[in-house]
Amino acid sequence: MGSTPAWVNRIVGVLVAGCLLVVAQCVYAQGLPAGPEYRSVLGMDSRLAVWIAAQLHLMFAAFVLAVPMFALFIEYLGWRVAKTNPREAQRYDWLAHEMARLLPAAYSLTAITGALLGFLLFTAYPKFMAYMTGIFGPTFVVYPLFFVAETLCLYLWYYTWDRLQGERKWLHLWLGLLLNVFGTIVMFIADAWATFMMTPAGVDQQGALISLYDAVWNPGWMPLNIHRLVANITFGALLCSAYAAYRFLIATREQDRALYDWMGYTGNLIALFTMLFLPFAGYYFGFELFAFSATYGVTLMGGVLSWLFIIQAIVIAVLFIGAAYYSWLGLLRIPGSEAQQRWSPVFNVALISGFVVWATPHTMAASIEESTGGFHPILGALGVMAPKMIAVTLVLVVLYASYLLYRRAGRETTVAWHRQGTTIQWSLVGLTALAITALGVYGYFAPAEVRIKTSIWQIIVLMIGIVATFALDLVLLRGARTVAEVRWGTLPRRGHYVLIMLAFVIVWLMALMGYARSGVRLNWHVYGILQDTSPGAGLPSLGEVAVIITAITFIFFVMLAAAFAISGLAKAPDAASGGDGRAPALAPSGEGA
Amino acid sequence: MKLGAFHLPLPTRAFLVLAGLFLFLKLLRPVIPGSVIVLYMGFVIAGIVIHVTLRDERMREFADFFIAESAGEPAAIRFQRWGLLAVIPLVIGWSVYDALRPTYAPPVEIFQRHPTVGEEILGSIKVPDWAAEPAKWNPEAIARGKVLYEANCAVCHGEKLDGQGPAAEGFRYPIRPANFQDAGTIAQLTLPYVYWRLTVGGIQNQFNSAMPRWTTPADDPEASTLHSYDFTADEAWKVIMYLYRATGYEPRR
Ligand code: HEC
Repeated sequence: MGSTPAWVNRIVGVLVAGCLLVVAQCVYAQGLPAGPEYRSVLGMDSRLAVWIAAQLHLMFAAFVLAVPMFALFIEYLGWRVAKTNPREAQRYDWLAHEMARLLPAAYSLTAITGALLGFLLFTAYPKFMAYMTGIFGPTFVVYPLFFVAETLCLYLWYYTWDRLQGERKWLHLWLGLLLNVFGTIVMFIADAWATFMMTPAGVDQQGALISLYDAVWNPGWMPLNIHRLVANITFGALLCSAYAAYRFLIATREQDRALYDWMGYTGNLIALFTMLFLPFAGYYFGFELFAFSATYGVTLMGGVLSWLFIIQAIVIAVLFIGAAYYSWLGLLRIPGSEAQQRWSPVFNVALISGFVVWATPHTMAASIEESTGGFHPILGALGVMAPKMIAVTLVLVVLYASYLLYRRAGRETTVAWHRQGTTIQWSLVGLTALAITALGVYGYFAPAEVRIKTSIWQIIVLMIGIVATFALDLVLLRGARTVAEVRWGTLPRRGHYVLIMLAFVIVWLMALMGYARSGVRLNWHVYGILQDTSPGAGLPSLGEVAVIITAITFIFFVMLAAAFAISGLAKAPDAASGGDGRAPALAPSGEGA
Repeated sequence: MKLGAFHLPLPTRAFLVLAGLFLFLKLLRPVIPGSVIVLYMGFVIAGIVIHVTLRDERMREFADFFIAESAGEPAAIRFQRWGLLAVIPLVIGWSVYDALRPTYAPPVEIFQRHPTVGEEILGSIKVPDWAAEPAKWNPEAIARGKVLYEANCAVCHGEKLDGQGPAAEGFRYPIRPANFQDAGTIAQLTLPYVYWRLTVGGIQNQFNSAMPRWTTPADDPEASTLHSYDFTADEAWKVIMYLYRATGYEPRR
């Protein structure tokens, strides 16, 4: 599939965009620093232009980095069972391919927005970029190489999908692996620049380079790498889910609906799973930042940017609630799951109460009649770290418990001791919740250093609880009889609308946090070393920020939709000639029928 | 569907949960800010929507209550239906009225706990050697800090540093004097930051906070600063040392 000229064209396009970036770097790197410190590009507000370009670039890059990770994993799962269960294998292969569908278009957009970002940076901030080039010169040379390698692997991986099947599948898997390795390296390099700006290392007081190694491996580097890797997967998975939901909603055939329903479900599951780790990756990044400069701590947690985190807490709650709702709705796909559905209200109340605590602000906007002066005995007690950690960890327990229950739907255990086993299992879940609460209460009354430790212990307890009960579950369900198949394609449409909403929410959230990460430097290009003396150096008001990130969200989806429409159009003759409705990728038919 | 058996229709139950929680939040004292109540009610509504839409039967039951009127239904049901239908426009009408009626209150402030200051300013504040190391703080300096505190700060921040000075209540809007015993204030701050707050970082603008600035601005001696006394640098450091020693917190590093 895929007409050869089209994909060659696209590679060439991407490479040209990449080269533009490199040329821009070289030109500016030499011709400086004689010129002015700042230049205006077409009369635009440089800071705003760079902000939008950078955020868009980051989101497309996140997408093209993340999707191959789980798509490859799914492809691998399919390959593993190719011998024993060819139908299953085919289905997995279809899913992986379908998830990769948006990649070529998204990749072109990554390159284009990247070139735009590079162009804007080098034009509007010549002095700053000359400084960065001086520090990171060698990485600026290596970066395009990996970028080109990533490009080649991506297009090869995508366009040889149908050719490298069967005996040669392993070659395809290798290509995918290479793609992931190169992609990760590209991100790590770019992260080095971004984190150097926040937590510079390897330079002296004046900013002269002492060690490139330290500049790259600065205190914020690894935390950001980890945070981004995990968050990217959540992001990519939710976008894939939204795509699947869209296809589900427009599908006319039973069998398409079944496949896309399954795809949406898988994407949501991946997103939920990675979302479990995100708060902790975030805390880790935060701790490193605060350790680097207490001013960061004040700015983020008590100062101008503190309101972003209140908004963030609410948005995260919306994400989790939406994802949980979607999963619970999934029980409707399983006939005879009434026993499990009876528990939904309990989970619902627990989830909502947990997030009420989680989103409670410590101080809140108040009118003069309501004002208790910033501190409220109830909000003050709930709005601090310890209760929030209890709340969010318990929410995770609840989500996990509902997942355990979900696994039972439509199945009948056959092991002899299933009654005792189930009792033990649920007692363990309860015990985990109890231990988490106890730790949190202890942490509430303990000094700050101890509190941080108890919060880490809460996570460890949670993990132990999950691993133990899940292992038990595997044994319990061994040889379980399936009494009712999951009927894919029967999820109500509202579930799919939720998936689409979640994609918007995660994009918005990502833009919000991108602003927090970059804005926390305030008026510094490189924190404490190179000051931003341009007229636009201040932070916009919160309202303006909300407008801009909302605009970014819309631009992102418009670009994605346009790219999708274009690539969809390119495929139209293909599918028509096939004569069977739409995409030829639907070959593994019969699913769900 | 029989009222006698306490089996209320689903929409009525949803309404009762919503109204009950709203009243509860409204009646809590001290008053919870309206913005927080709105936030909480948003979650409650989400929970109700989830509950109703998780099962097709419940969705149908909810909708049928409003649209499937039957001739033989009890009067109580009819009463509830029309009551609920009336509640929605009433609530909307009230909120429009509430938003538009004239009030004389100052605008709602989004208050930041700690005003933000650039690293270029904090970086230029040098902590003198004798004040830098809490372990080596000298008791006489702290005693002097206590005198200065009681003379200048206690009126707002309180003798016990708990933010309950005699004047505190008068400054409760938009934010009352900091309670230094709370882990959210000086325990979070570095020495240069507290010094900056005391000397030039006070009184950001008329509406934001009553915290004075304890030095006269060199370029504008007439500026409104609220302060009663010009601190020297040494005196400022001594007060700061007292704040930490008296509360038992350590400055952040
Ligand atoms: C007129 C009342 C008033 C007086 C007098 C006063 N303060 Fe304050 N102070 C406040 C208010 C109100 C706040 C909280 C708002 C803010 O942070 O600006 C505050 C905040 C502070 C903070 C910042 C705490 C934080 O968490 O950011 C410090 C430090 C402080 N005061 C120290 C002092 C010291 C030391 C004195 C005496 C030299 C003093 N204040 C005198 C009203 C006062």
